[in-house]
Amino acid sequence: MSAVKQPVADITTRGGAATLWRQRAASADESRTGNLVRALWPLLGVTLVVLVAPLLAPYGSTDINPAGALQAPSGAAWFGTDELSRDVFSRVLFGLRTSWLSALAVIAVGAVIGSVIGAVAGAVGGWVDAVLMRTTDLFLAMPAPVLAIAVVAALGPSLRNTLIALAVVWWPWYARIVRGEVRRMAARPHAEAARLAGVSRARLIRKHLLPGAVAPVFVTMSLDVANLVLALASLSFIGLGAPPPAAELGAMSARATTYLLDQPWVSVAPGVAVAVLALAGTVIGDRANRRIREGAAR
Amino acid sequence: MTRLFLNRALAMVAVLFGLAVAVFVLQVVIPTDPARAMVGSNAPEEVVAQARADLGYDQPIPAQFAAYLGRITRGDLQHSLHTHNPVSDDLGRFAPATIELGFYAALIAGALGLGLGLLLVGGGLVGRVARVVLVGWAAVPAFLTGMLLIVVFYSWLHVLPGSGRVDDDLLLPDGPTGLLTVDALLTGQFALLGNLISHLVLPAVTLALLPAVAIARTLHASLEQVMGEDYIRTARSKGLRERTVLLRHALRNAAGPTLTMAGLLVGLMLGGVVVVEQIFSWPGLGLYVTQSIAYSDFPAITGTTLALGAAYVVINFWVDVAQAVADPRLRSA
Amino acid sequence: MKPPAPILDVRDLRVTFSGRGGRINALRGMSLQIQPGEVVGLVGESGSGKSVLGLTALGLLAAASDPQVTGSVQLDGFEMVGASPEGARQRRGTAIGAVFQDPMGSLNPVMKIGRQVAESAGGASDEEVAAMLEATGIRGPAAVARCFPHELSGGMRQRVMIAMALARHPKLIIADEPTTALDVTVQAKVLDLLATTARERGVALLLVTHDLGVAARICDRIAVAYAGRIVEQGTTEEILDGPRHPYALGLLASRPRLDGAVRGGLLPTLPGSAPDPTSSVVGCAFASRCPAADGACLTPVPEAHEDGRLVACHHPGELTTWPDRAAQVIKAAVAESAADGLAARKAGDPRTPAVVATGLVREFDGRRSGMLGRRGPALRAVGGIDLTVPAGGSVAIVGESGSGKSTLLRMIVGLLEPTEGTVRLAPGPSPQMVFQDAGASLTPWMSVGEHLAERLAAVGMPKREHAAAIDRALHAVGLPVDAAARRPAQLSGGQRQRAAIARAIVVPPPLIACDEPVSALDVSLAAQVLNLLCDLRQQLGLALLFVTHDLAAARAVADEVVVMQGGLVIERAPTDQLFTAPSHDYTRELIAAVPEAVAA
Ligand SMILES: Nc1ncnc2c1ncn2[C@@H]1O[C@H](COP(=O)(O)OP(=O)(O)OP(=O)(O)O)[C@@H](O)[C@H]1O
Ligand code: SF4
Ligand SMILES: [Mg+2]
Repeated sequence: MSAVKQPVADITTRGGAATLWRQRAASADESRTGNLVRALWPLLGVTLVVLVAPLLAPYGSTDINPAGALQAPSGAAWFGTDELSRDVFSRVLFGLRTSWLSALAVIAVGAVIGSVIGAVAGAVGGWVDAVLMRTTDLFLAMPAPVLAIAVVAALGPSLRNTLIALAVVWWPWYARIVRGEVRRMAARPHAEAARLAGVSRARLIRKHLLPGAVAPVFVTMSLDVANLVLALASLSFIGLGAPPPAAELGAMSARATTYLLDQPWVSVAPGVAVAVLALAGTVIGDRANRRIREGAAR
Repeated sequence: MTRLFLNRALAMVAVLFGLAVAVFVLQVVIPTDPARAMVGSNAPEEVVAQARADLGYDQPIPAQFAAYLGRITRGDLQHSLHTHNPVSDDLGRFAPATIELGFYAALIAGALGLGLGLLLVGGGLVGRVARVVLVGWAAVPAFLTGMLLIVVFYSWLHVLPGSGRVDDDLLLPDGPTGLLTVDALLTGQFALLGNLISHLVLPAVTLALLPAVAIARTLHASLEQVMGEDYIRTARSKGLRERTVLLRHALRNAAGPTLTMAGLLVGLMLGGVVVVEQIFSWPGLGLYVTQSIAYSDFPAITGTTLALGAAYVVINFWVDVAQAVADPRLRSA
Repeated sequence: MKPPAPILDVRDLRVTFSGRGGRINALRGMSLQIQPGEVVGLVGESGSGKSVLGLTALGLLAAASDPQVTGSVQLDGFEMVGASPEGARQRRGTAIGAVFQDPMGSLNPVMKIGRQVAESAGGASDEEVAAMLEATGIRGPAAVARCFPHELSGGMRQRVMIAMALARHPKLIIADEPTTALDVTVQAKVLDLLATTARERGVALLLVTHDLGVAARICDRIAVAYAGRIVEQGTTEEILDGPRHPYALGLLASRPRLDGAVRGGLLPTLPGSAPDPTSSVVGCAFASRCPAADGACLTPVPEAHEDGRLVACHHPGELTTWPDRAAQVIKAAVAESAADGLAARKAGDPRTPAVVATGLVREFDGRRSGMLGRRGPALRAVGGIDLTVPAGGSVAIVGESGSGKSTLLRMIVGLLEPTEGTVRLAPGPSPQMVFQDAGASLTPWMSVGEHLAERLAAVGMPKREHAAAIDRALHAVGLPVDAAARRPAQLSGGQRQRAAIARAIVVPPPLIACDEPVSALDVSLAAQVLNLLCDLRQQLGLALLFVTHDLAAARAVADEVVVMQGGLVIERAPTDQLFTAPSHDYTRELIAAVPEAVAA
């Protein structure tokens, strides 16, 4: 209930209306983007933390901890050491950075590609729309994890190829969302009213249709962070990530399963790190989702 | 209804074709030379050329594609580079273990997801706690769940085995289906059946947890939305019990999104199966594909991709049909 | 003799909900009694608390909004306020039944009609279900029972709802806007069905509606609600003859009338708006809008009884006629802005018609079902229509939903290509349109000022002149200057429609097309917007082409009326002639179906 009711009789002075309008229009716009930014700043916060974390690591990602191999957690090695005497805590800190930044990178690439395709499909319509969306549907109808595995396996395991594979299976979602929003906006009377007002086609798309897709795309992006952290970790776990000795959480965990029964911390610690990161993503995503929805209703 | 069925079937064929194209494209763009990979890196150039000609890789792309389509429709998936068997034979050998694991995991995921979803709708303290737990749960990667289960139930409590399909000293049933629990049941070997089931518990639960959470959350979200609909108010105004309103009126209407989600989750499970089989040394397709990756065994990888992809597409076709059965508005469309 | 115990006895009922800007006061001390077998209308504008009263009586307030209820609602002697969920549940269906507004949304889409009806009866055989359906005038009840809701028309679905409400022979039925979503002729039939079945079976009926005419058609007694209270209550005759509460008087007066007593631009209006539901009200809630208000009104309002009639006013009956045109302000603003030059831009030669359309036909492709499906037959939405709107004229197009009104309108303004035929527009700016849902016709993330500036830019006005032009247009439609900076969500419903109109006239076109411009608005707002359109027409020399299902509104604004049915024009006549001497049966049927609020 935020409709500002104003009695008709409230017609006040006429001077200065022009400037007043400019100011207020600007602030209305700010509050919209402001809402998005406010909902998403925790993502930036986590990014900062994971960027700083490796600087705080007591050892480098491949350095030897003098405590020795497969040591239990202690003051000298907080999460113990692995079979090559490397410090697990330090490696986890490095792994967090890789996971998080990779997830963000895939989302950014997927969202950009998908949004462009979706926007073109929705705005142009006709056969362009049909071709683009049938292709998108085709991608969506195939099992993403299986396809991603095949792509990385084909290109050869490496972090870059894993990111490419995930971006390949991820963009269709964004294409669908953006296209759907654009079509939804185009079906609203406001698009017709704009046409009648003599607005050019380019402006119609830019000003009246596309902005409607911004919030849903951001919501989806924020909710996807956790999904991608998990997907990346799983691929890395089955050997499809950066090759050793890179500190990748999934791969660290996988290599240490041999020692799972006697030195569980070596494989559990990186797994827990993944969970913490994914949890952070989930919480931020949910919150952003709620905020942006409320903001849209306001 | 028939028309809808035919339409969906046609769409399914289109997607299967798309899948075949995607895999073919992968084969074309791989940086490694399949002929060289087959004959070994030390083979002389003539041998490689011969192999290339044998495989048809010296043909123009469209001809290769036609040959490839012909092959896969005949079920010929080439030979594995490291087992040297036809890939189709390998798939036949490893698939039953995966099917068995997947089937039980799907059962668990469905039951757990349904139960948790309904629990969440109940609200109250239980609902709120369940909600927090679910959010946390969704963030735990399957490999961590698997490892924790092994540590707790195998290493600490010694109540459940942590690897393989059956104890090494037991003879496997030589049944008709290859699904060991079914074969054991058919041949009346109940001790063996118990052993098989105890081996299934941990991997199936590990595989089921994430999909269960996703089902629960989707079901909850759509139930929540449905419970605000006008026809729910009508149902209440008739004086129906809240439970009747929920189960008879809301659940069926919430089934659509949940079924769609379940279909998508099959994809997630196909990915998860690879991880879970690795942790539990489960001799299925996942383990096969992991090993193939390690050996850069490309025919095996593409073959498995085709098989799993096709399974996914077919399952989703049936999900679509189920949805139409659940919703009369779709049926008459 | 002691009167019989009321079947519904509401006393000093207060309901609040949690809301973002504080608690929302939905009911602020409502009292209402309904005797067994009585048909009572509860009338009021949006937000007055009508639905909340019904839902409280049913014990179905949305738990998610944390409702707090005080006071008393006795349903057949059973106290519903504070009742256990189980106790309340047992009354539903047996003591009280309900019919809701949206007949599509109110039936479970995946359950067969028969099963839903049987369930309301607490289990019934197929024959019993068929009998129940038949009793509500459904032909072929056995076949209907096997249908799903989407296979039935709106009127049929509402009959099914009525059958369900009656299934367990309750003593009271609450019908909340049961006919608002239906076409006029269907509306009339459903209302009559409700009234006759209620009377035959001795069931009391509480008819909740925003339309005095609807209540007047079937009710014995009418209660008028304002800001969560009943302000006046009396027999239908008493209320229609002369309300004694100023709000009731204003509500009655601002309704366009079918007899055409008030014409273009002169509808009396209720200026202002109801108090903000989050604020508390001291004294009379209507005081800020009441022409008869004085100092005494700022103290708490007594409920004054007079001869069994209830009027919650300090000066009951003091006001006997509502002031002619209270919103003089708008007129002044328009005059002023016209002088300022808005009208100077008005185009055209008064002898060139605003639009001449000849032989307009529009077909829509049949739906194709899936990849394999054949296309259905083409639908002929408009089947060959000639239409002329003279310069500065006003033509209304009336007809039921699906008759092709909107399609015709959209072809004329150029949103839709005609399949056949031509549209010749007067020279000048292209025609503009005002839509039914004003909120949806404005771009949510753009401010009102941006909408107007965009239109100005499109006709090539230099940027530095925009501010002044926007300013003038806002004045012309009676919006405060700072509305330019607001986004649609920050405006009230009436303000949104004004903003949409401002965009249409900021560059005055020869023709403005209106598609049901007031049917989503409350009576008092609708009157204001209708007046505004008429004023603008006069001041700016615009022609109006006005699509509506509301014949009374058509009579108030149009010089000529066109009646459409099935994509064809079946009658066209000057307004007065059409209403006084309709020549076509269908026109007569339409006119007869209009719910009128005039004393018999
Ligand atoms: N579930 C709810 N949560 C919060 N506020 C509510 C809820 N239901 C109603 N309200 C508020 O209570 C007040 C009265 O609403 P109500 O729906 O009874 O009005 P009404 O007279 O039926 O209006 P309409 O003609 O629009 O149906 C309004 O201010 C409304 O916003
Ligand atoms: S109490 Fe006063 S302000 Fe209220 S309606 Fe009566 S006269 Fe008007
Ligand atoms: Mg209502």
